[in-house]
Amino acid sequence: MKTKKIMNSPEFAEAVAEDMLESRSFWADARKRFFKNRMAVVSMSLLFCLALFAIFGHQFSKWTYEEIDWSILGKVKTHGQPSIENGHYFGVDELGRDLYARVVQGSRVSLLVGFVSGILAVMIGASMGAIAGYYGGRIDQVIMGAYNITLSIPYIIFFVVWQAFFGRSLEQMIMVLVIVNWTAGLLIVRGQVQTLKNREFVDAARMLGLSDFKIIFKHILPNMLWVITIYMSIVIPEMIMMESLVSFLGVGIQEPNTSWGALISEGAKTMTFGTIWQLAFPAACFVIAQVSLYYIGDGLRDALDPKERA
Amino acid sequence: MLSYTLRRLMAVIPTILILIVICFFLMRLAPGGPFTSERPLPPAVMKNVLERYGLDEPLYVQLWTYVKNIIIAFDFGPSFSQKDRSVNDLIAQGFPVTLTYGFFSAVFVLVMGIPLGMIAALRHNSFWDYVMTGLAIFSQIFPNFVLAPLMVLLFTLALGLLPGGGWNGGQWQYVIMPAVALGTSYMASVARLTRGSLLEVLNAPYIRTARAKGLSERTILIRHAMKPTLLPVISYMAPVFVYMITGSVFIDIFFSTGGIGQNFIDAAYTRDYSVILGLAILYSVLTFVLTLIVDLVYAWIDPKVRSGLK
Repeated sequence: MKTKKIMNSPEFAEAVAEDMLESRSFWADARKRFFKNRMAVVSMSLLFCLALFAIFGHQFSKWTYEEIDWSILGKVKTHGQPSIENGHYFGVDELGRDLYARVVQGSRVSLLVGFVSGILAVMIGASMGAIAGYYGGRIDQVIMGAYNITLSIPYIIFFVVWQAFFGRSLEQMIMVLVIVNWTAGLLIVRGQVQTLKNREFVDAARMLGLSDFKIIFKHILPNMLWVITIYMSIVIPEMIMMESLVSFLGVGIQEPNTSWGALISEGAKTMTFGTIWQLAFPAACFVIAQVSLYYIGDGLRDALDPKERA
Repeated sequence: MLSYTLRRLMAVIPTILILIVICFFLMRLAPGGPFTSERPLPPAVMKNVLERYGLDEPLYVQLWTYVKNIIIAFDFGPSFSQKDRSVNDLIAQGFPVTLTYGFFSAVFVLVMGIPLGMIAALRHNSFWDYVMTGLAIFSQIFPNFVLAPLMVLLFTLALGLLPGGGWNGGQWQYVIMPAVALGTSYMASVARLTRGSLLEVLNAPYIRTARAKGLSERTILIRHAMKPTLLPVISYMAPVFVYMITGSVFIDIFFSTGGIGQNFIDAAYTRDYSVILGLAILYSVLTFVLTLIVDLVYAWIDPKVRSGLK
């Protein structure tokens, strides 16, 4: 509370009033709580740096991610280590391509795929959950049936089949991730809607003659933005993980484009030759992203979950 | 109980059938086939090959023959890319391997995870508790495809203790790393779940009653606290098994164990329809059976569920 010491002064009353006004908003409150969480703030800035690295990293590299440095090819082990002089800040990979540029490109792909597919999947899952919860009955049964079937199929099967048969572009990757994970957040949103739909404001909206679509998407879902936010913070690192795993298996993004998983896999294959940097740099990026997303998710949960609110 | 089991088994059959149909059409619709290569075969040869594998018949006939053969003879057909080998052969060869380290991995998850979680709960806020929190974060950050290379780096390249891959008829040195790499992150989840669950159980009134009766702590733990603590852990094992089946694909490839995962990825590359379909069915059946076992064990332990299963 930013107050003056004198309790009877008008300034004090003003400050108190201001404070009360401020704390009335759920989101302002949550923001305050989130920024009090030191780990979350540190993680946030780390992730921000990683994003900057992915977006602007190309500016500082002397090579592109597909260019082969012929002078080093074949003697990667002896001449390919990270060095400032020849412009290979992270060394080169097995084919003599600049690892720095490749890690930048990999970060781009992994972060992009993770965030886009994570956000899309939760949006679909939440909408489906809201529809299932709002209508109930037959529609609910169909959606829940699809939910159960999706959960019981080991995703890798679907993934591999899809990737191998329909090509391996970025869009395909995002699409298949969304299809496999469309259930994200469905159950919890469905449960919430089932209780929310009996509340007065929904009756009021119905009384005003609003369509079901408007009621669901304009009146009910905004009330659950906190659930959706928390779920996104859980799903995005999972998506990055899945994408990396699939790229590791060799059915991810098509070469010469790359991602963290593909880079880690290449590094893991060659580490026996002593070119450890090929594993270290992509693995470090992956680990930084996962650590920061973990703590951001933790902070968001603490900040947004009503159970945590005193 | 018996009728419940039967009912669940009956529900599996239509689901598998739906899966077969979806996979079947998905693969046939995709461009390219097992016999399209860089240099196309002469039309006459192509015709013979297609005839040999029955690929020249209309789709619904192919589907019907396929399903009929599985039901009548349990025959998944010949492999298209590996001559003179049937899908049954491939499964018979690779599946025992995957099953072996999968089994040890599951044992590792339970035998390490549950005691660790219990110790962490009983010695709340002690050293062990912090070890566990660390482990939980660790497992989130190092999924199996990052952990496995690091383990090879440490135990094979640096210490020279364990072989970095291969199977060698399932000697114990060759089983350890696949099993541990597959299980670690789930072990951490099981430990975390056990800890939370036991902490909650120990605060329950009936535990206080047991203490008031003068029972020893050990009796309380084993006779009163154990069962309710394990309930959430058991229900968590169903998705764990699904993810382990998924993860085994990666383990098979990284450690070159010769398990079915390798066949699966190879088949996806060569568009070996019959192998992909056969393995997809195998993976799915495995998923359903393991989920069913988990549900039955859960019902067996929890009297509330058991009485509901009439």
